Amino acid sequence: MPYKILYVEDNHDNQLIVKKALEARGYHFIWAQNGSFALSMARKEKPDLILLDINLPDVDGYEVARKIRKSRRKKLRYVPIIALTANALRGDAEKALAAGCDMYIAKPINIRELWSRVANFLPNTA
Amino acid sequence: MSYLNNLKCSECGKSYDPTLIQTYCLDCQAPLLAEYDIEAIRLSLDKDIIRQRPRGMWRWKELLPVLNHTNQIYLGEGDTPLLRLDRVGEEYGLKNLYTKDESQNPTGSFKARGLASAVSKAKELGIQKIIIPTAGNAGGAMAAYAARAGIEACIFMPRDTPLANIEESRIAGAQVILIDGLISEAAGMAGVKAREEGWFDVSTFKEPYRVEGKKVMGFELAETFGWKLPDVIIYPTGGGTGLVGMWKAFDELEKLGWLEDTSRPRMVSVQSDGCAPIVAAFEKKMPFCDYWIHAQTIAVGLRVPKSFADFMILRSLHESKGLAIAVSDTEILEAQRQLAIKEGIFAAPEGAATLAALDKLVKNKWLQPDERVVIFNTGTGLKYLNIPN
Repeated sequence: MPYKILYVEDNHDNQLIVKKALEARGYHFIWAQNGSFALSMARKEKPDLILLDINLPDVDGYEVARKIRKSRRKKLRYVPIIALTANALRGDAEKALAAGCDMYIAKPINIRELWSRVANFLPNTA
Repeated sequence: MSYLNNLKCSECGKSYDPTLIQTYCLDCQAPLLAEYDIEAIRLSLDKDIIRQRPRGMWRWKELLPVLNHTNQIYLGEGDTPLLRLDRVGEEYGLKNLYTKDESQNPTGSFKARGLASAVSKAKELGIQKIIIPTAGNAGGAMAAYAARAGIEACIFMPRDTPLANIEESRIAGAQVILIDGLISEAAGMAGVKAREEGWFDVSTFKEPYRVEGKKVMGFELAETFGWKLPDVIIYPTGGGTGLVGMWKAFDELEKLGWLEDTSRPRMVSVQSDGCAPIVAAFEKKMPFCDYWIHAQTIAVGLRVPKSFADFMILRSLHESKGLAIAVSDTEILEAQRQLAIKEGIFAAPEGAATLAALDKLVKNKWLQPDERVVIFNTGTGLKYLNIPN
């Protein structure tokens, strides 16, 4: 079974770029367009890794990360989370790490870097 | 005339039309690099023709991206002096130590080169308003070139940017927005404004032409050294445009067959120990940098938590068999004093950092006494008078 990656992102263009990139490396891609949906999808789908945009229309990425880290389900509680942001506010990186994200990448995301960062957690299957 | 014939993604190699406005590769989100018809240049031009032209960056016009010379925005950039540093060299036991003194560019820094190129190309492409995030000197340079080009300018700067950078930008008519944060946050905010209001973003490597102006430093070094490149180049690294640009210049000169000796310099990237993402990635042999948390240094141009072109910087360092090294603010200030006392050069902190790095490289015996070593002074210390030392 390919690894499953949940991408939480409200921008459709970004979603398409990342979907194409991850599927090219054999990952199973699922997508949530806001924080609330991301939390329910995370519980239901049990992803192996979450790519988490910080600036979301409802619950922000920090809160999503904090709630995942408090999950009663062990697999979800320890799922790797990579925060992605356009870095438009001071301290985005620091706050993302403090909220429980494992790593921080600024947008625009270099796709080769994305592959490399994801593969550090999940060896690609392509 | 320019022999620009393609823009190529630095990662996937995809081609982009240089007659259209371009940013970075839309597929892999990596910088685009300009390519030239090297064969046509070789047939129509030789290095003596370039040598005989009036001084300045644009005498390399065939290898620059501006197609029509009427679009070249010129303020006197380029052909900065290569100065021997005999007194400092003697202290370190180096017989051939030089500085490329970029403080003598318009607006007092090497940023003039990249912005001359990018603003000129923006004018040629019909762009009417440009936006930039900056640690300081790039903003001042962009404001000046945009003013001369009749292009509207908007600049995002950290609130603690040196006063000279803020004032030189404002007096040139740029809209200056001071932010609570570093250049990385300025980049995010500038990106949002660009998308919402239609500004063209000239952030480092998010458009293809700043690096073209910067690469001319490499051409000038080759020419001044008689078409044999120096053994070592020690360069302060924030966004890394100059380092990547010089490496690109050496590639182009080699393809042209203009180098008498194709041996390449060992490239040394210098950062502050308060913000050293390239050094950390180099030491861990990583292809990309981690974002540097809590970046802080008096050398504000080095306060770049992560460059968009980090992988290109690291690739150049590895290919050149060079290295990356961090120095402290205390060492930078002492080096700045030494350059002024012994050589009469009031260097920017970023430039002084290269001498602080040289001190370590000599102590580590990484440099040999006969090697030709160039340290880059990227700007004038006069712009940093309000930074406490």
